[in-house]
Amino acid sequence: MAQRTLAGVFTREEDVLEATGAARREGLTILDVYTPYAVHGLDSAMALQRSRLPRVCFLLGLGGAAFKVWFEYWTTAVAWPINVGGKPWDSLPAFVPVTFEVMVLFAGVSTVVAFFLVARLRPWRRPRLVHPRVTDDRFVLLLAQTDAGFDVARVRRLLERHHATEVCERDYEEVP
Amino acid sequence: MSDAAALPVREPLILGDKSLAEVTGDICRPLDARPTALWWAGFLASLALLGLGVAAVSYQIAVGIGVWGLNRTVGWAFDITNFVFWIGIGHAGTLISAILFLFRQRWRTSVNRAAEAMTLFAVMCAGLFPVIHMGRPWLAFWMFPYPNTRGSLWINFRSPLVWDFFAISTYFTISLVFWYVGLLPDLATVRDRTRRGFRRRILEWLSLGWNGSYRTWLRYEIVYVLLAGLATPLVVSVHTIVSWDFATSVIPGWHATIFPPYFVAGAIFSGMAMVLTLMLVARSTMGLQHYITGRHVDVMCKLVIFTSGIVAFAYATEFFMALYSANQYEQFVFRNRALGPFAWAYWTMVGCNVLVPQLLWFRRVRANLGLVFVLSLAVNVGMWFERFVIIVTSLHRDYLPSSWAGYAPTSIEVATLAGSFGLFFTCFLLFCRFVPVIAMAEIKSVVGTPARPGKDL
Amino acid sequence: MSRRYWKSIEERDGGEDWLPADRDEFPEPLAVLPDAPGTLGRRGFLKAAGFGLAGTLAAGCQRGPVSKAIPFLNQPEEVMPGRATWYATTCGACSAACGLLVKNRDGRPIKLEGNPQHPLSRGGLCAVGQASLLGLYDRWRHRGPLKRGQPASWADVDADIVSALAAIRHRGGALRLLTGTIVSPTLSATIGRFMATFPNARHVVYDAISSSAILDAHERTHGRRALPRYHFGQAAVIAGVDADFLGTWISPVEFTRGYRDGRSLEGNPPRCSYHAQFESGLTITGTKADWRTRIAPGEEGPVLTQLAARVARRAGLAWPAGDVGMPPVPGAPLDDLAGRLWAARGASLVVSGCQDVAVQVICNFVNHLLGNYGRTIDINRPSYQRGGCDAALGELAAELAAGAVDGLLVAAANPAYDLPADLDFATLARRVDLLVSFAGSPDETAALAGYVCPDHHYLEAWSDAEPAAGCASITQPVLAPIGGTRAIVESLARWMDDARPAYELVRAHWESALFPRRIPVEPFETFWDTAVHDGAVELQVAPRESAASGTSAPLPDPVAAGAAPPEGALSLVLYPSVGQLDGRHAHNPWLQELPDPITKVTWDNCASLSPDAAASLGVREGDVVRIETGGPSPAAAALELPVYIQPGQHDRAVAIPLGYGRASTERFTRAGPHWLESQPGVGPNGLVGINAAPLIVFEGGTLRYGGRAVRIAPTGRRIELATTQRHHSIIEPRQVSSAGSRPIVREMPVSALSAQQPPPGATREGRGLWPDDHPYSGRRWGLIIDLNACTGCSACVVACQVENNIPVVGRDEVRRQREMHWLRIDRYFTDADESVDVVHQPMLCQHCANAPCETVCPVLATVHSADGLNQQVYNRCVGTRYCANNCPYKVRRFNWFTYARADAVENLVLNPDVTVRTRGVMEKCSLCAQRLLEARISARARGEPARDTDVRTACEQSCPAGAIVLGDLNDPASRVAALAKDPRYFQVLEDLNVRPGVGYLAVVRNRDADPGKAGHV
Repeated sequence: MAQRTLAGVFTREEDVLEATGAARREGLTILDVYTPYAVHGLDSAMALQRSRLPRVCFLLGLGGAAFKVWFEYWTTAVAWPINVGGKPWDSLPAFVPVTFEVMVLFAGVSTVVAFFLVARLRPWRRPRLVHPRVTDDRFVLLLAQTDAGFDVARVRRLLERHHATEVCERDYEEVP
Repeated sequence: MSDAAALPVREPLILGDKSLAEVTGDICRPLDARPTALWWAGFLASLALLGLGVAAVSYQIAVGIGVWGLNRTVGWAFDITNFVFWIGIGHAGTLISAILFLFRQRWRTSVNRAAEAMTLFAVMCAGLFPVIHMGRPWLAFWMFPYPNTRGSLWINFRSPLVWDFFAISTYFTISLVFWYVGLLPDLATVRDRTRRGFRRRILEWLSLGWNGSYRTWLRYEIVYVLLAGLATPLVVSVHTIVSWDFATSVIPGWHATIFPPYFVAGAIFSGMAMVLTLMLVARSTMGLQHYITGRHVDVMCKLVIFTSGIVAFAYATEFFMALYSANQYEQFVFRNRALGPFAWAYWTMVGCNVLVPQLLWFRRVRANLGLVFVLSLAVNVGMWFERFVIIVTSLHRDYLPSSWAGYAPTSIEVATLAGSFGLFFTCFLLFCRFVPVIAMAEIKSVVGTPARPGKDL
Repeated sequence: MSRRYWKSIEERDGGEDWLPADRDEFPEPLAVLPDAPGTLGRRGFLKAAGFGLAGTLAAGCQRGPVSKAIPFLNQPEEVMPGRATWYATTCGACSAACGLLVKNRDGRPIKLEGNPQHPLSRGGLCAVGQASLLGLYDRWRHRGPLKRGQPASWADVDADIVSALAAIRHRGGALRLLTGTIVSPTLSATIGRFMATFPNARHVVYDAISSSAILDAHERTHGRRALPRYHFGQAAVIAGVDADFLGTWISPVEFTRGYRDGRSLEGNPPRCSYHAQFESGLTITGTKADWRTRIAPGEEGPVLTQLAARVARRAGLAWPAGDVGMPPVPGAPLDDLAGRLWAARGASLVVSGCQDVAVQVICNFVNHLLGNYGRTIDINRPSYQRGGCDAALGELAAELAAGAVDGLLVAAANPAYDLPADLDFATLARRVDLLVSFAGSPDETAALAGYVCPDHHYLEAWSDAEPAAGCASITQPVLAPIGGTRAIVESLARWMDDARPAYELVRAHWESALFPRRIPVEPFETFWDTAVHDGAVELQVAPRESAASGTSAPLPDPVAAGAAPPEGALSLVLYPSVGQLDGRHAHNPWLQELPDPITKVTWDNCASLSPDAAASLGVREGDVVRIETGGPSPAAAALELPVYIQPGQHDRAVAIPLGYGRASTERFTRAGPHWLESQPGVGPNGLVGINAAPLIVFEGGTLRYGGRAVRIAPTGRRIELATTQRHHSIIEPRQVSSAGSRPIVREMPVSALSAQQPPPGATREGRGLWPDDHPYSGRRWGLIIDLNACTGCSACVVACQVENNIPVVGRDEVRRQREMHWLRIDRYFTDADESVDVVHQPMLCQHCANAPCETVCPVLATVHSADGLNQQVYNRCVGTRYCANNCPYKVRRFNWFTYARADAVENLVLNPDVTVRTRGVMEKCSLCAQRLLEARISARARGEPARDTDVRTACEQSCPAGAIVLGDLNDPASRVAALAKDPRYFQVLEDLNVRPGVGYLAVVRNRDADPGKAGHV
């Protein structure tokens, strides 16, 4: 049988916060929460762990810098040493600015690319909204009907207690 | 929780306690409505300027750099002046979007989107000049270290122009990425307000299938912080490197160690002025009074007067160092700057950058938006002249008096400068038409949702 | 850090087959110069392929595309494509007739250099001589004879002229031949023969820049109308009165070399003549003087009289001249000068360019008292470089006015242009039935002439010269005539039914007339071959009774000052400028763009005023003033010229250069690039400058260039003069700096020189911040310029332009400060008591070891060679101009436009060894890298190490004063290494520690030590 989900739609920030917290305490499986802006505190409510994107940023930045230092040294002092203004073959201080720029470039671009990958954001992805106004002013808590033991009525009551304006069941395919 | 609730004592950042839907509506209105006559007027004017500039540059490339007023002694003038000027403008955008973000200055949310766009367009204008100022611009790609059949003959990593090349391109890329990432949620919002059709298809592609998932929001915030953290040193490094174009030379008046901080401060100074100029226009023409409030203007004015102080201090330091160094070339250059044939440019600079901003000490002046607008224009003029003074007055009389020369711009140079403004405003007006000029998602996080009455948390 | 990087094992181990970077990476010897004849080296072949086309063009001179280059069918053995052939010949640019070596490439001359074996010029060549090469490739030259302005055949023209001449001869009509000074013995002889065939014929000689008074004076005092030879090299004390003998007077190259010998500063005490100069305007001669005094025009007489009186007193001769006028110059220094002259009896020299015979007589008197005749002045072996007789010119004018002349032939002169308005030649000449001009290119006289029988360019012709008695030289053609021109001597012979070509005429004359004067007895063939090969031969001077030695002549009358000009009037000084002389080369763009050594003005002539005079008139530089001559003479002419403020000029003088406003300069209207804001290259009159010759006065049987009273009135108009050195920059160095002045040029009194001081070069190379990875271990090229020898004559500037294909940019570009000269001559003024001191400083790329330009180039387009050259890589340059901005010496030149012109004829002058630069790239002095390379390759081909004595840069070669020395700084035996230890040695802007490879030697003034003067200017 196709798996079903249950979506609670809220109009207030704190409602969805509380509802999420309650749902987790109930041991329900929170698929995701959809909000028009970054609601602070939801990560703890959903018990999400920290992202590892900073490491990507750091490592690739470092790699870029290292590559650039080597490249400048190699081109200037090894591959074709040319006497430029009587400067020493390896003018390390003069290599610093470009190295820094390349480090920033690597770090920044790689971070964003990594973000798009892990968040599965890509141009050809058709957005399937759990609610048409979720990017405007609606907050949606999406729960999974894990098994037959899932009591839809009870959960619906739980959500409505937290001022859910509407609660609807969905097929798994219909939601993101 | 919303700041509006968190800071009850302070005047709220966003007036007329809007609901989230209202925020969306207000900000997206210009995108849905047909362009106003005012917009058309401005757009056509900028387009005409751009055309003029394109004609001038084409003529120059076809005939030769000689159509500029340069000579054997003054090898740079309008070209590099414009370049540094535009780069400086660009800096305010990154400053507002990155540095103020790291300092948790929530008021930035109203202006950061436009400021970042301004950065992009300014850097585009700036990047133009290093290319067209070459004698053989069609060979500009030689600045890039690519393997070639000449040996391989690489490039000279000791040359500040190469540093420039990397700095500008990195700066543009990072600013673009930063701006786009910040734009994602709003693109999604606009997408969802748009009915089927070509425009929606575009938006679907651009918004990368954003669906407001909180897992994505969480990573999004991390990325935003990271980019802000990268852009902050970047913005400092870029203008530092630009200043090294001059500081690493041997020319008296260029060869100065205070250039990096001096240039960065000047950049923020001019950038802030330009942001003010644009914001005040956008605010009155696009009915965003509730989002860009007097408080925003007030804060930016304070930044302007602060940076103006730094710049003034730098001017003074230069003269002191010339005196203190007992270096006759330095001493002559600065005497020549203040009293020589280009004294008019120098005093224009001092007047616009040091004297005029002093008016902003008065709250009444800061509150008078018309006056602030005029002041911001004056600062822009002054900062352009600062670069002109540094470049031309240092070059035209250097070591050997036998080679001293004058300089006067030709019509082509003036047209090129006008053209760069045309490019800038054309891009900016298109941006106002097709992109939400204010970051809705961030505004919403500031507005938040009104707390439930009689509710105990 | 001093780690050593290696690219290969061989390099690390330094194996046999490993070549250090500073040696050529191609081990096989390049097939170059010493190829066996007939074989063709690789380079030779490539060059032949490239330039065979040019050769055919030179021969055929047709424009338009040539589809294929035709190789020599059977190659003449002396012509090796790609290899230069050198011919010795004689310079025909002016009547000084210096010796030339012509560099021929692929059948076309591309460079003129001085002939070191020539006894007069001794290897030097002036700017005009250098530039005269371009006249050969002048498209505007006459291509053939003209009949009433229309092209005609030689046969046709000859027939007409011969019949006309026959008619004159028949009825005993008056035939007159008007020429400039003829230094060619053959031509003189032929003229003599030709004239002899007429009952009433006379040959009238005049010089546009006349020295007639000197000859007349010697006729009076020595009974012989001759121009003596002056030996400046043997003079310990020199007094010049209005004689620019280093610039334009008679034989500047010869005099410059002699003058420099007299101030060589060799030995101890250093040899340094004392030079006093009295002049109204400022000349380069005056700039070199140890004591320079400004005198008003017309005061030459009193000055010489005063001097003569003082000398006579010392000679114990009662000469009643002491009370003539008030001395216009301070008496004490004049006494001092007289004392010095007297002390140096027999080794002193007093010269004057004054055109007043009475003054010249006094000049001779002084020299006679000093016993200079026979020592520093040679009247027995006179000079033939100025033979003009102005009196005869006056008679001719009278005859013309009377309509008494039936035929007038004009050769080597342009009387319609350069004669004063008094004589009004242009109108008078129209009354002559038969007017024939021999002008090789269109000029004012040819325009009037019924027949034009164009002469060759001197590089196309067989001729000869005897500029001074006993010194004869050959002029041989270096390429076939480009047009259908014909040598004068041939034309005259032809009209005497003598069909011999010039070659045979010259050879015959040498056999009959010159060969007998040859001292060593040898067959004529040997003599002739020697003459043609060496270019010059020494001959015996026909022994004639020694001229009356002055004593017999009566004591001269003192000359009082001429009438002072009326109140509010100034008196005129007309002078030949170094580049233009009398205007005969006005069509030459190199000379038009050559900055005048004194005013630095190009493409224009101007009226120079002293600062005080300008202030009193209320005019500024560039103001156009109207210059009116009063007087009843029909020559009450007026001209309008821009003002130039000239320090060091007399306050009552207004100086105007001659030689401008020539017809045929209208061609320069479109000289230089054309674009939106470009200005025409000529003045409002459609010509370059304005002709001042009409203001010359014909008085007392001589042409007078000075002393005429003129009134000056501002017109209210202004024009911007195209100067390469802005005026305000001149005196600035003293004023700008509170902490001493700038270390740019250095002066010292001669006394400081003898006092031995440790060479400042000891601690020159300051320690750098970084490890020195570049210890020029092999050769390090260096150039040292002796500012004391340099006179600013600018020969090097033109030589560099010719050698390195430097484009002419035109007046508008010069106004925009975009002249392209790689080598410029900076001149700095400093205040001297009631005059100014001037230092000329040739400024070129300093080839710094720590070159600021190299560091900033993003694309490695300017880098440093292993032997110390700062190299510019044209094809890599993208034109950011950052290097030029960062050059402390501002010697880099940028191609703002495409300056190269598509002139198929003119471009034949281009040097195939040097790239023609394209638009948008930077360029600068390469230290004649092509010459260095050629020397290196040929030395290697000879299998011996290249010595720096094998190679000389173009500027070095041309310098008449030998002021420039190229060499290997690392070779202790080289001249530069020695000069670098000279106490006079210094580097410009030394405190920047850019470690230049170019150094200078300080100027030395023969003065008492004066703390104010010593040290930097």
